[in-house]
Amino acid sequence: MAVSFEYVAKETATNLWRNRMMALAAILTVAVSLSLVGTALLLRQAVNRQIGQWSNNVSLQIFMDAGATSTQVTSVRSTIAQTPQITRCSYLDHAQSYAQAKQVLAGSPTAIAALTPATTPTVFKCQLKSPGDAATVATTFNSGVPGVYQATSPSQSIRVMQQVTNVLQLILLVIAIVLLVSSLVLILNAIRMAIFARRREVGVMKLVGATNWFIRVPFMLEGLVQGVLGALAAVVIVLLSNIGVSYLIRHYKVSVLGSAVLPVHDLVVTELVVVLIGVVVGVAGSSVAVRRFLDV
Amino acid sequence: MIRFDNVTKSYKNLRPALDDISLEIQKGEFVFLVGSSGSGKTTFLKLLLREEVPDSGTVWVAGRDIGELSQWRVPYLRRNLGCIFQDFRLLPNKTVTENVAFALEVIGRPRTVVRTQVAQVLDLVGLGEKGDRIPEELSGGEQQRVAVARAFVNRPLVLLADEPTGNLDPATTQGIMKLLDRINRTGTTVVMATHDVGIVDTMRRRVVQLDQGRLVRDQARGVYGFGEDMTVSSRGVPAISVAGAADAGYDAAGDPLTGRVATVRARRGTR
Ligand SMILES: Nc1ncnc2c1ncn2[C@@H]1O[C@H](COP(=O)(O)OP(=O)(O)O)[C@@H](O)[C@H]1O
Ligand SMILES: [Mg+2]
Repeated sequence: MAVSFEYVAKETATNLWRNRMMALAAILTVAVSLSLVGTALLLRQAVNRQIGQWSNNVSLQIFMDAGATSTQVTSVRSTIAQTPQITRCSYLDHAQSYAQAKQVLAGSPTAIAALTPATTPTVFKCQLKSPGDAATVATTFNSGVPGVYQATSPSQSIRVMQQVTNVLQLILLVIAIVLLVSSLVLILNAIRMAIFARRREVGVMKLVGATNWFIRVPFMLEGLVQGVLGALAAVVIVLLSNIGVSYLIRHYKVSVLGSAVLPVHDLVVTELVVVLIGVVVGVAGSSVAVRRFLDV
Repeated sequence: MIRFDNVTKSYKNLRPALDDISLEIQKGEFVFLVGSSGSGKTTFLKLLLREEVPDSGTVWVAGRDIGELSQWRVPYLRRNLGCIFQDFRLLPNKTVTENVAFALEVIGRPRTVVRTQVAQVLDLVGLGEKGDRIPEELSGGEQQRVAVARAFVNRPLVLLADEPTGNLDPATTQGIMKLLDRINRTGTTVVMATHDVGIVDTMRRRVVQLDQGRLVRDQARGVYGFGEDMTVSSRGVPAISVAGAADAGYDAAGDPLTGRVATVRARRGTR
């Protein structure tokens, strides 16, 4: 099969131009849906990184009263040692705890101002054998152990946050899938129109013995180009929004969210996935159209 | 070159469009396929192009059972069969040259070959000067010449024509027939479906008549109506000589009823 590159390129370009409104609609829909896909993927990665940073493998924090005595601290320490669900703990004294609080509360200067090292409760940061034990262990320490202000399990709040982002992601993905399906249908329709517009040429080609692939390739390529153009637009949109978010985080020094800024590697992978989906949608849409409407 | 062995083809209708047809067409023959509308002429040509496949029986083209061809080979079969139609089927927004070149480009012929072959064939059909026109600037006869050029530019073994003069006036028709005759003289087999009585009667070539899908006449140098010398070829191997027919010319006034079998058999024997 000798399909000359020049012929195919010319045919595809002419087709796209002749059908430009349809092509534009298809390309824009691909762009919007893939932007959503890209955003959902980036959101997921950012949240996972941020949560990893926050939890830092701590699944239980036991805050002491600000005025807890060292005897009470020692007694809590031994209780911890006797609790089988806890694997390891580290103790932050007033100074260390204050430093951590300043970091965590970097976003709200007023809250920091209200704290002094002396008023910041000391804290045991503990790892559990299994995160599922967090609630029961927390309850034991909350049931009136002298000197304990409160035992909290960050994993609880993190779980809530994960659920929120999961729901958000799901919504984004559902919208994206609906839009992907519509872009597939739009591409299919654009190719169907192109086939219809060129039915005379196709008839002559069949008659004079052009091979099936020779007839099909320009139409397939047209779908591919639409998918890829849409994907490239989405890549730019995702890139810009990512740059925007990173800039905001840095500019306002929201260091709590510092880890939400993704490394280049993750971004590149996400963008590649976006382009790949664009290719798949374009080829799938045009294949179906060619199969259904181009009986060669 | 072409052989039908007991070919039957039905569409959804009760009566088959072609009913147990057997016949053979030699290389270089000129054959008229006649019969009233709906008698199966177009179906016959479509079976040759493998646009349709027979329900039973075998169609042979150039020694191949074309029913056995896999789908991807069908285009290669069609490269050996040029086709023209009543409605020309030209591409309206391409020039004459582009229309003819298109047939070579889409089968991947190199550009230099396309350029020389197109120029040659346009000269052959007498349109050398009109290469830059678009079809609607041409008369019907000229448009059909372009179609002939496109069908012939790849030098097919067989030229199939489905009522090629159906849209043309008698004078123009004569020009097209001269052209088809010229092409036939190059050794190209021509099969032409028509119900134009005048052409068939003046050309005096082999006539195959279909009626309701059945082969009712196969006559070596026939006229349109039934002559006294009515021959139905039961073997599907009519004896015919291209050379003989070509010698007579399309406007030959030779008597088709005398000496046909003797002449033809003799010539065939000497080949
Ligand atoms: N695609 C088709 N579907 C159904 N019937 C068809 C089709 N093509 C032709 N026929 C029928 O087959 C018969 C032969 O048609 P055709 O070969 O076109 O005859 P002709 O060319 O001699 O007029 C007719 O009865 C016609 O109605
Ligand atoms: Mg017909």
